[in-house]
Amino acid sequence: MRFAEAGIPAVALVTEKFWAQGEYVAKVAGLPDLPRVRLPHPVAGRTPDAMRDIADDIADAVLAGLRGR
Amino acid sequence: MNEFASNVVQAEDDDAALEWLHANRRTDGLPVVIPTAARVRSLLAASDLDPAMSFGRIGPAMGDATVEKVVINAVMAGCRPQHVAVVIAAVRAVCDPTLDMTEIQSTTHCVAPLVIVSGDAGRAAGVASSFGVMSYGHRANLSIGRALRLCLINIGGGWPEISDLALHGHPGAISYCIAENAEASPFPPLHQSLGVDAGSSAVTVVNVEAPHSVLVLPEAGDPTAPDRILTAIARSLSTLGANNTLSGNGSVVVVLNPDHASALAAAGHDREAIQRELAARSGARVDDHRAVAPPSRLGLFADRADHERLPSIKDPSQVVVVVAGGTGLYSMVMPSWGAGPHQNRCVTVPIEPPRRQ
Repeated sequence: MRFAEAGIPAVALVTEKFWAQGEYVAKVAGLPDLPRVRLPHPVAGRTPDAMRDIADDIADAVLAGLRGR
Repeated sequence: MNEFASNVVQAEDDDAALEWLHANRRTDGLPVVIPTAARVRSLLAASDLDPAMSFGRIGPAMGDATVEKVVINAVMAGCRPQHVAVVIAAVRAVCDPTLDMTEIQSTTHCVAPLVIVSGDAGRAAGVASSFGVMSYGHRANLSIGRALRLCLINIGGGWPEISDLALHGHPGAISYCIAENAEASPFPPLHQSLGVDAGSSAVTVVNVEAPHSVLVLPEAGDPTAPDRILTAIARSLSTLGANNTLSGNGSVVVVLNPDHASALAAAGHDREAIQRELAARSGARVDDHRAVAPPSRLGLFADRADHERLPSIKDPSQVVVVVAGGTGLYSMVMPSWGAGPHQNRCVTVPIEPPRRQ
């Protein structure tokens, strides 16, 4: 959110369980349209290989968010 | 003209005012003391601070914790003037980035802030430290703890399922405040051990789970008692299913009853020695870890023997040891979340008495 407020392209990674909370926080911060990408929950405790798989899955969505699409 | 920075809500009577507060999520679910102008003025006077002064922001809503806002919440909690300085110290702690209060408010874990008051200011405020210290009946304990929660709701924007994703929470999330039993403690005041001048008073705020009882049976003339106390407490902080057991990170709180504290002190253990012993004896067995680990994590234990223990407390300084409660068979432990940018550390803030007494 700090990057977005500074006008730097930013994407928030939000796990499934926190999706609604992410909407609340973005709205309260005055950034309701901040690009967000949904991750599976939880992220904590996943092995490095599992994290790489997740990263592969979301890479396109992250790039799209950074490009403002 | 409004003398307050906060909005003034008009209501027909107390009942209507209370219903408005409930309907607009300004309470903790229980009836509150209506924050009338007169009540807020009275507690502002007790704070002896500029109402516009800010202690910082409380997440996740990042509301501004001004003296006025904190006092309004203290009124609603039922605080009296003698409680205000303690509430303010607790709010200062919550605004300290080290406490990671935004993350704590948001997590799916049940963790909630415990306020430990140490020093003369706690006694002056009437914060109980002996029998039933975490239970009902103690006005100062419950009012101060409640005021902090109301600040987390009304300034921090915490609310179940909206911003606070705790799956269950625990009753301490409503109010969780104790005082150190200094009269019965063989150790220096907690705040002194945490770097605050011994002559001061302080609050130590640490985000933890609900308390869990630890029974250690005494036996007259038994020289093994101190050893058994340490092992029982360390194993109780190593239960399978606790976050600390999985990660080894995060503060944990140990509330020693005066009898257990005396036994340990008589055997030559000071607070630091107790911390070291608990860390060294902590941890669940590898075969227990394997029994509950998901398949992708079993490789982490491949080179370990079944009987090995993986410490649930990697850093002894994580253990907050405080003497409180009545005398008897039980001490209490509180595990924690163990995560966040600052790994669930505690924060200690001096209690500043009002300039005008």
